[in-house]
Amino acid sequence: MKISRYMARIALCLLLAIPALGAPVELEDDLGRTVIIDQPCQKVVFLVENALNTYYSIADPETVLAIGDNIWKRELKEDFFRAVDPKFDDKVRIGFDSGLVSLETLAAEGPDLVVLWATSPEDENLKAITETLGIPVYAVFITSIEDMYKQVREMGTISGRADRAAEVEAIMKSYVEEVTSATEGISDEDRPKVYWMWSDVLGTAGRESGFDDLIYQAGGINVMNFWENDASRMEHPTVPLETLISLNPDVIYMWYNEKLDPEDVISGTEFAGWKDINAVKNGRVYEIENPFLFDAFSPRMPMALMHLARNIQPELFADMSIDERLDGFFGEMYSVHYPGYAAL
Amino acid sequence: MNIDYGRRKLDAVHNYSFIGKRVLVLLFLLMPIPAFLISMTIGTFPITTGEIAGVIVSRIGMDMGHPSVYETVIFQVRLPRVLLSMMVGSALSASGAAFQGIFRNPLVDPYILGLSSGAAFGAALSLGVVSWIPVQLSAFIFSLLAVAVACSMARTEGRTPVVSLVLSGVIVSAVFSSLLAIVQIAVDERALQSIVYWMMGSMNTASWSKLESSFPLALLGCLGILSLRWRLNVLALGDEEARSVGMDPERYKGIFVISAALASSSAVAVAGIIGLLGLIVPHILRMIFGPDHRTLIPLSITFGATFMVLVDDLARAALGFEVPVGIITTLIGAPFFAYLLRRTRAGGWE
Repeated sequence: MKISRYMARIALCLLLAIPALGAPVELEDDLGRTVIIDQPCQKVVFLVENALNTYYSIADPETVLAIGDNIWKRELKEDFFRAVDPKFDDKVRIGFDSGLVSLETLAAEGPDLVVLWATSPEDENLKAITETLGIPVYAVFITSIEDMYKQVREMGTISGRADRAAEVEAIMKSYVEEVTSATEGISDEDRPKVYWMWSDVLGTAGRESGFDDLIYQAGGINVMNFWENDASRMEHPTVPLETLISLNPDVIYMWYNEKLDPEDVISGTEFAGWKDINAVKNGRVYEIENPFLFDAFSPRMPMALMHLARNIQPELFADMSIDERLDGFFGEMYSVHYPGYAAL
Repeated sequence: MNIDYGRRKLDAVHNYSFIGKRVLVLLFLLMPIPAFLISMTIGTFPITTGEIAGVIVSRIGMDMGHPSVYETVIFQVRLPRVLLSMMVGSALSASGAAFQGIFRNPLVDPYILGLSSGAAFGAALSLGVVSWIPVQLSAFIFSLLAVAVACSMARTEGRTPVVSLVLSGVIVSAVFSSLLAIVQIAVDERALQSIVYWMMGSMNTASWSKLESSFPLALLGCLGILSLRWRLNVLALGDEEARSVGMDPERYKGIFVISAALASSSAVAVAGIIGLLGLIVPHILRMIFGPDHRTLIPLSITFGATFMVLVDDLARAALGFEVPVGIITTLIGAPFFAYLLRRTRAGGWE
């Protein structure tokens, strides 16, 4: 009698455990596609790096099965990846041939889920993996800060660690709050007009882009909001130089650019036509110096925000030490120190 | 009586058409002047023609009290851009006309010897891989390298047959296109975007320094073509005919290829790949004035400059945002060209 009651309890426990081990769960990816996975995924392939960063802050690194062989500026990142995933160097690398992912390598690994960057459901890699291999694919396409928080929640669902995902989201929001609590009271008139300079110089962040949000949260206002042209709504419009001169931004913020420094914009001969822009006249041209630490399309988005805020509103954030914040942030998110990435 | 009357009438018609043609030639030669003046008044910065005149007067010495930004817009933004557009238009058109003459082929453009693929590869290499090399320099070096490789491939037993040269150009173009594809696959999304934008051609980063670096070579190339232009008429008849009148076709082909490559490489390096211009401008002129290179080359230089600067006016001002100029040259040039083609027998080659 006692034994049968004991067996019944074990059976009940097993029944309750089954959904936790492999219950089908529906997700909606960034393209609005429904993705059905068995939660928690045990073998995830990341062909996009920003989601990998998010995943490492939440999930067990053992469940990262393979990584795309297309990490940009890997020399800036690999020490960090090795620190948060001791087996990082041993992970299978998925190569690309003519832009198409190596389906054979992927098939040989047999992942539960592939996470990749795609701007449309017609993306060739997305279609090839789902249709040819029948493997679920989660498409990442970040266009706003809110998308970043959603990514955190979805990585929590994929890894079966929703609680940790909620913690990560709260950590990110607390760092963002540190900035926005100081900037939200600034009226639009008092905000410096900021021109975001992508590497194509006259290409910028439009009114409906993630950087438009970030600039506003940092205490500025995207100068594209003053351009009376429908192109200003584009994600990446190209502005005529004459228009930029008439918009007259107070601050120019450059994305990491290997060919240009702020000094080139301020006094370079190629930029002689820019000399009457307020930002240039007042020497307020800044650059994202490290595209890894201050990548706005990654969970380090709050660090990018702080970088922007410190330069856009120097009076408000004069006492802010970015290195200290980075150390605290990496500690809370990944349990490592910055710099050096030594374990806490 | 009737014969005399008929002859007098024919003479009158001939004189009229001769005078009319001279006037038309003069008109085309002077066309860049009004195009330049119109272009200087077009832009997205709010400044009136009167204010522009005032700023220019101020430059001469009579201070009219305009804000300094006006002077910057006119002399640092608009003027270098207008001049760069004109230079690019002249260089590509003159090169196109020269290449069409050398190859005796109406389908030839300045990119026939792989120049554009070489330039695109050079630019892509700089934009996506070897960032310490300036884009302009890299594009220039690789465009000339492509032409040099095509010419050396085609040269056999001291001669460079036209067919071999065209085939070599196709092969070199294919090789550089493949190399470009490899770079495009390897680079990140933002670098890829820059490469694609560069390949569409644009004047939006025009500056005096760009003009200073490209103008001497473009001028040298154009002067080379211009000064020897009558020899293109002989080359256009074929190698045997050229030899029969005592001309060394290999020597002059070499001079024209080098001159045209220098001019078009300088243009491509600063403006990216601008399609169709070097093909349609010489054809339009050939349809109007005939195939004589003595007239065709100087007109290609002036009409090319006019065409390019007006197209760039559209690119920078029509929609209020920058549209790659290469797109507009194709969208405007192609239907205009089709119209002229339908009205002209054999496209002006007869």
